[in-house]
Amino acid sequence: MAPKLLSSTNFKSLFNSVDTFLFDCDGVIWKGDTLIDGVSHTLDLLRSKGKNIVFVTNNSMKSRRQYAEKFRSLGLTSVTQDEIFSSSFAAAMYLKANNFPKDKKVYVIGGEGILEELQLAGFTGLGGPEDGEKKAQWKSNSLFQHDKTVGAVVVGLDPNINYYKLQYGTLCVRENRGCLFIATNRDAVGHMTDLQEWPGAGCMVAAMCGSTEREPIVVGKPATFMMDFLIQKFGTETSRMCMVGDRLDTDVLFGQNAGCKTLLVLSGCTSESNLLDENNKIEPDYYTSMVSDITKLMDSP
Amino acid sequence: MLNRTTLVSSSSVSLLPNSKPFFSVKAFSGFRSSSFSGGIVRRIDHKPLRVMTPNLTPRAMAAQQLENADQLIDSVETFIFDCDGVIWKGDKLIEGVPETLDMLRAKGKRLVFVTNNSTKSRKQYGKKFETLGLNVNEEEIFASSFAAAAYLQSINFPKDKKVYVIGEEGILKELDLAGFQYLGGPDDGKKQIELKPGFLMEHDNDVGAVVVGFDRYFNYYKIQYGTLCIRENPGCLFIATNRDAVTHLTDAQEWAGGGSMVGALVGSCQREPLVVGKPSTFMMDYLADKFGIEKSQICMVGDRLDTDILFGQNGGCKTLLVLSGVTSISMLESPENKIQPDFYTSKISDFLSLKAANV
Repeated sequence: MAPKLLSSTNFKSLFNSVDTFLFDCDGVIWKGDTLIDGVSHTLDLLRSKGKNIVFVTNNSMKSRRQYAEKFRSLGLTSVTQDEIFSSSFAAAMYLKANNFPKDKKVYVIGGEGILEELQLAGFTGLGGPEDGEKKAQWKSNSLFQHDKTVGAVVVGLDPNINYYKLQYGTLCVRENRGCLFIATNRDAVGHMTDLQEWPGAGCMVAAMCGSTEREPIVVGKPATFMMDFLIQKFGTETSRMCMVGDRLDTDVLFGQNAGCKTLLVLSGCTSESNLLDENNKIEPDYYTSMVSDITKLMDSP
Repeated sequence: MLNRTTLVSSSSVSLLPNSKPFFSVKAFSGFRSSSFSGGIVRRIDHKPLRVMTPNLTPRAMAAQQLENADQLIDSVETFIFDCDGVIWKGDKLIEGVPETLDMLRAKGKRLVFVTNNSTKSRKQYGKKFETLGLNVNEEEIFASSFAAAAYLQSINFPKDKKVYVIGEEGILKELDLAGFQYLGGPDDGKKQIELKPGFLMEHDNDVGAVVVGFDRYFNYYKIQYGTLCIRENPGCLFIATNRDAVTHLTDAQEWAGGGSMVGALVGSCQREPLVVGKPSTFMMDYLADKFGIEKSQICMVGDRLDTDILFGQNGGCKTLLVLSGVTSISMLESPENKIQPDFYTSKISDFLSLKAANV
């Protein structure tokens, strides 16, 4: 079915059939570090009408705690850590759910957020931002060393990507027996700043696929791993949830895979022409220009 | 062992009078042995440049251990040698190589060296050969750095367009020699970006091609620059020198290879590149054309199944795997391996010892 433009005629039925709204962050709530207009008011209004609100983001740079701080700094003070499901959290939870041994280490190609979530879950992380300063040496007599007890490599968005990290991660995956290769997400690009798109985690993950010749386990959208936590948290069916996002191949697909309703907003990386292009095979239930349209539609008779 | 095949489907370059050339290149590479089709790349002079001959059906015959070296040597006119793991390992010459090359030359064989390593230019490789005491002419060396420049020449890439390079010096030198303007390269490895509100990265709208290869100075700045060019400059080409997963930078261990840097750009652009290095046959077609050689008169000698041997097979020549590099006998004989060379032997100097044994 073709996606319906959200309007006063169809809004009420969506609103009444949903108890929980899942919001993506980049391109929906904010762009880089700039809040998108009208978001604050809309979230407050939804809460006042008794709706649950949750944030599901593929951006693994921050931990849930750090995201809560970001929300606060942008004036969205009602958002708590428990309402945020970042792919950094998902990676740590994946290892926990699969009984990753505590005597093994995790090598991280990504931001602080992943390291913090791993630590909170009781795991030992190596790498992360500080390896951005390291340089590899290639002389006949020197060997590039890597920790043989690394049992998993977690790869996410890393603006400090360099050859050292790629080499370290590659050696772990190729040489440490049974080493897991986990990707927080595979987004190609994202709005890391308000003015333009930047390469996403999909880039770092694909770099590792190129050298390891292996495909990763993906814990972020569109994989539905995080949905299990959400279902547990609210005890409701996914059909009573609506995923609101700006990206078809992660947000909307995630919602569809999990059986939720889906609403695409055009305030991020997808334009109306991308959506309506005949080559696009992912069709959300609804679409609208931005989150604050919800306020306009709620206010209309 | 994964099969990796690289092919280019139709690429059409049309040059209408008084208009800018529009380059439309579709290219894709499959990482596993799966169905794919060969294609033709047409150069501006409409001479078809065959890039790929699919050979999906498992070879009826498993690779034979080389016993009669003379027979193989006598059956071909040209030997194409890979370098890393065949001639040298890191900066160390492999045992018996100089005498073997001399013997082949004395028998009137043409020798060519084809390497996916794009860090040096042909001239710089010439020096490396010289330093190692080998008598090899620059004209006999075909590195993937050279291949990238040669490819751009073959499609008459306009001289007023620029090339953004994610790679090392070798590519820059070859582009320079071919008369192309370039941006990027190792210097961009020093550039930092700060992701903050109001920051916009500009990129040159005249970049008509992004060439990606092995890059030890890889960073986010380069990835973004290359991504912006490919996504936003109409008709911008995305060229990969090669996609080797790992490479022997030092003789002691494997290092993440060009396949990593190329993978990163594929991840952000969601486009597959045109690959000019092995196993794509671009370099084979180029040198066959240049030297006027029949493919059946060539033997490709290499240490890697999914680049060297596949390159030889795609090109329709004989193939000899040497075990002095990355491939072991167990990898060759593994049931997962689908690439069987015609012959295998431990190292190229076996040409001398096996020959002697047959006297």
